[in-house]
Amino acid sequence: MKHRKPTGVGAVGANMTPMIDMVFNLLIFFILTSQFAQLETEEVRLPLSTTATNKDYTEFRNVVINIVERDGAGEIIVFRRPFTPPELTEFLIEAKEKAEGHPMNVILRADAEVPYEDVARVMLATGKAQIQGWWITTEIEKKDELRGGM
Amino acid sequence: MKIRRPGAAGRMQPPMTPMIDAVFQLLIFFLLTPAFSLTEGFLTTNLPTTSGPVAGKEQKLVQRIKIELYNVGQSGEFEDGGKNEFVSIVFNETQNLGANFDALRAALEEKRAQGLAANTPVLISPTMGCRHKWVVRAFDAAVASRFTEIQFAVPYQ
Repeated sequence: MKHRKPTGVGAVGANMTPMIDMVFNLLIFFILTSQFAQLETEEVRLPLSTTATNKDYTEFRNVVINIVERDGAGEIIVFRRPFTPPELTEFLIEAKEKAEGHPMNVILRADAEVPYEDVARVMLATGKAQIQGWWITTEIEKKDELRGGM
Repeated sequence: MKIRRPGAAGRMQPPMTPMIDAVFQLLIFFLLTPAFSLTEGFLTTNLPTTSGPVAGKEQKLVQRIKIELYNVGQSGEFEDGGKNEFVSIVFNETQNLGANFDALRAALEEKRAQGLAANTPVLISPTMGCRHKWVVRAFDAAVASRFTEIQFAVPYQ
């Protein structure tokens, strides 16, 4: 019987190909999903809340409305585009028509410092489009982290 | 001289190690990035389908709780960009609670303890200049006191 001497060339190595395939798939998935999320959301300082929860919003057709603070006033931004309240109503009516009866939600991402006036404008525009779902996005705050006793 | 025959073992391969390193770095970055949004949550409510009062409709007398929020402005800004402004809370048109949202929650919980139903409307009525964060704090207090019908006052247009 012929015995083979173990050499460097014949050393056993792990098969890397499936792992690299998996890693690339995961990478593509995360790159794509993070881009979709970034299109809808603006950088805002969200208000703190102790009772907000991570709810499943995927069962609704959602429109994310950002209100960013510019010099003390709020600016309405949807999909990276500034909107006036009448334009927003039109946009929401169109979105509702496209939803074809699916339940719709407005997800509000308003800066903590914007005046209520701007939030009320968006609320009225949403009401005019006959959309009832109104979700306010907040930063979840644990009770022991409450600031300033406010 | 020893000549090597080209075989499976001696085939030229591009160096995979730096590429795998880079891919893993990217993967870890994209795995961790969405984790920031896990700190975000939602306060959910429903808006009425009609805006403003409806003419000719019989108004029923319903007991409700009213929370008024007034902004008390001061000049200047905090270092983190937050405005140096405070809020004044008036509960049910009688009790002035200052800026104490814990007192607001206590007052709401007292109402619940007195037997007020969870579906009693709680109307949050902020002034137009009141900051969004204070409105959320009031909403928070009402949710924490297990009230389910929370309404917002909006200017009539």
